[in-house]
Amino acid sequence: MSNGSAQLRTPIRIGRGIAEAAVERARLTVVPRRRTRAARMPFVMLVSLVLLGGVIGLLLFNTSMQQASFAATALEEQANTLTAREQTLQMELEVLRDPQRVAEHAQNLGMVPSANPVFLRLADGKVLGKRVPATPANGLRVRPLPPAKPAVLTPAPIVHKVTADPADTGRASDGNGGSHGRNDANASGQHARR
Amino acid sequence: MRGSPLFRLRFGFVVIAMVLSVFGARLVQLQGVDPNAYAAMAAAEGMVEVTLPATRGDILDRNGKPLAESIDGLMVVADPLMTADRAPELAKFLANRLDVDYFTILPRLREEGSRFEYIARRVPSTLATEVVDEAEAAGFKGLDTREDPVRDYPAGDVGANMVGFVGTDEALGGFERTFDDQLAGKDGRSRYAVGGGNRIPLGESTIVPPTNGTDLHTTLDLDLQWYAQRVLRQTVEDARADSGFAVVMHSKTGEIMALADHPTFDASDPLQYPEEDLGSRAMSDVYEPGSVEKALTLSSLIDSGKVTPRTKIVVPPELRRDGRVIGDWFTHGQIRLTLAGVLALSSNIGTVRASDRFAPGELRRYLAKFGLGQRTDIGVRGETPGILPAASQWTNLVKDRIAFGQSVSVNAVQMAAAINTVANDGVRVDPSLIMGRATTDDGKVVGTDTTRTRRVISSRAAHETARMMERVVDPDVAIAPGAAVPGYRVAGKTGTAQRVGVGCGCYDGTFTVSFAGFAPADDPEFTIYVVVQNPRNGGGGGSVAGPAFSKIMSFALRRYQVPPTMTKPSKLPVEW
Repeated sequence: MSNGSAQLRTPIRIGRGIAEAAVERARLTVVPRRRTRAARMPFVMLVSLVLLGGVIGLLLFNTSMQQASFAATALEEQANTLTAREQTLQMELEVLRDPQRVAEHAQNLGMVPSANPVFLRLADGKVLGKRVPATPANGLRVRPLPPAKPAVLTPAPIVHKVTADPADTGRASDGNGGSHGRNDANASGQHARR
Repeated sequence: MRGSPLFRLRFGFVVIAMVLSVFGARLVQLQGVDPNAYAAMAAAEGMVEVTLPATRGDILDRNGKPLAESIDGLMVVADPLMTADRAPELAKFLANRLDVDYFTILPRLREEGSRFEYIARRVPSTLATEVVDEAEAAGFKGLDTREDPVRDYPAGDVGANMVGFVGTDEALGGFERTFDDQLAGKDGRSRYAVGGGNRIPLGESTIVPPTNGTDLHTTLDLDLQWYAQRVLRQTVEDARADSGFAVVMHSKTGEIMALADHPTFDASDPLQYPEEDLGSRAMSDVYEPGSVEKALTLSSLIDSGKVTPRTKIVVPPELRRDGRVIGDWFTHGQIRLTLAGVLALSSNIGTVRASDRFAPGELRRYLAKFGLGQRTDIGVRGETPGILPAASQWTNLVKDRIAFGQSVSVNAVQMAAAINTVANDGVRVDPSLIMGRATTDDGKVVGTDTTRTRRVISSRAAHETARMMERVVDPDVAIAPGAAVPGYRVAGKTGTAQRVGVGCGCYDGTFTVSFAGFAPADDPEFTIYVVVQNPRNGGGGGSVAGPAFSKIMSFALRRYQVPPTMTKPSKLPVEW
């Protein structure tokens, strides 16, 4: 190719006219490589879409995470409340089934512990053990005795022994006039009923 | 135009250099002078650090019912900076709602310079949140809640002497303290970023999860324990006694199903009770068992092959030994008793005469094998080992006295385990109070997993002793008919022992009365031991402790559905 062009160019310089040379050149030019130009618009659109999608996606993702976080907090709170509630109920149940409470209730209903264990054997219908009726004597004292009062609060009754003076009887009966009167009233009442 | 380009260039450089050196100085200040404080300040901004309290393990009975349990609780705390303004109104509000003292919290609400004051600790969480919400609604500011688990003793005084109790921040007594390592667990931590009360997703967050405490399973039976405590209380009160204890043991496994103490205390409110009531007397009281011990002496004697239940013994009205006179609790002339009669009528003289047949040191070896003088190590604090005199101290007099249960001291569980040996076919099984295994605070492993058994007396000796003990509750012999459970074969032994007083260290004229026994006598299920210290109604083992034994035994037999064996009761002759 380079040889060819050298051959062609030599005559031009030697004697042909410029116009001819121009024609020559116009006829034989190196064709520039043809570029296929993609349309610019779709690409820009694509990139912006991806970008937009990414941003929106990220935003949505973030929002949903936030949302989930709110939900988690709310649910955690609810779980705490429910746990507390469960435990309160559990405590109530334990109060209700406390043997002390059950016993006090049973006793208020007039129940006493059974006097003696007796069994019924299902195989032959035989009663095992001695049947002893339960009486109030079988009752169990489920509450402690009240604490004893200190001696200061329960003084012994003061007893004065007075021997009746025979000479004094008249005055003593005067002094007891009121009680006499009551006795009389009783007596007369009985008389009246008879 | 002013100045040359060169001048402007220089001027620009100077300005830039000045700005850069300001930055540099700030950098040195931030990084060089006190970097940590600034880092902490930056971290604190929006960071929350909370302690995740470990839940304390429950203490459960053998059926899983709680004797002690932990409940989610909260503490109510105040920020005085915000509460100081309306402190009196707020204090009144809190005193009404939270059961706290007005005058205690008022200064706290006003505390100057403080930003954190406790108002109430261990409040059930529902109540705490309710109160704080109400306070907020009423316009009070500065109250908040923090986690603070509550310890609850749903059964109150039931088993309290063993379970113990906890203070505000530490375990103070009983199982709570002994097994604190297991029960307490380990608190965790959580650090995270918050914004507007919500955790920031993808924000910094670290969690060290708490290790919750492990439950402690005991062998106690809550209902049986309750019943035993009530029967015991009634017995002690009616006898106007100082104290009392009762042990209910499963004969075959040695599991203690009830260990009652009186006086006792309410575990929810231990500070209301005298300090000496907060432990377990059944384990810490050392006392002389008295005649109950004769069952051990005579069963050993039968085991060594030197006597039988029908061995004939002449019992004089009194016995002179080494210058001391040994008498019986009942006055009699010269009577002729069999060995069974000696046990049934609880004759000291007869027992001493029979135990003359022991080789030297033999009785002591037997008693040591029965477990006397050694701690039972069941996991209760403050257990006494009892006193079994050393071999060198065994004079004839001491031996005679030990044969009928004086001059030797025990604790109640020790003695119950010894009597249980007779019930359990002559094999002593270690008593236990913990299901499985647990490690105490002094490193001992206790529990049913560690139970060991050892044969003390032969099966035949145990069987014959049981038959002799049956005669004690026999209405014909009439020593302790009150201890009988009608329809059942019950073996038992009364004890009325002289008691060493606290003051003088000598016998002070008071008594320890007791009753130990098991039923059904031919296939024992339960061994029960009731001890009452210093009854003032003049009662003895048969009349005070016997009826309590009978009541608890009836309850246990009914509760665990043990029918009568329907075999013929023992009719061993008492006299000849």
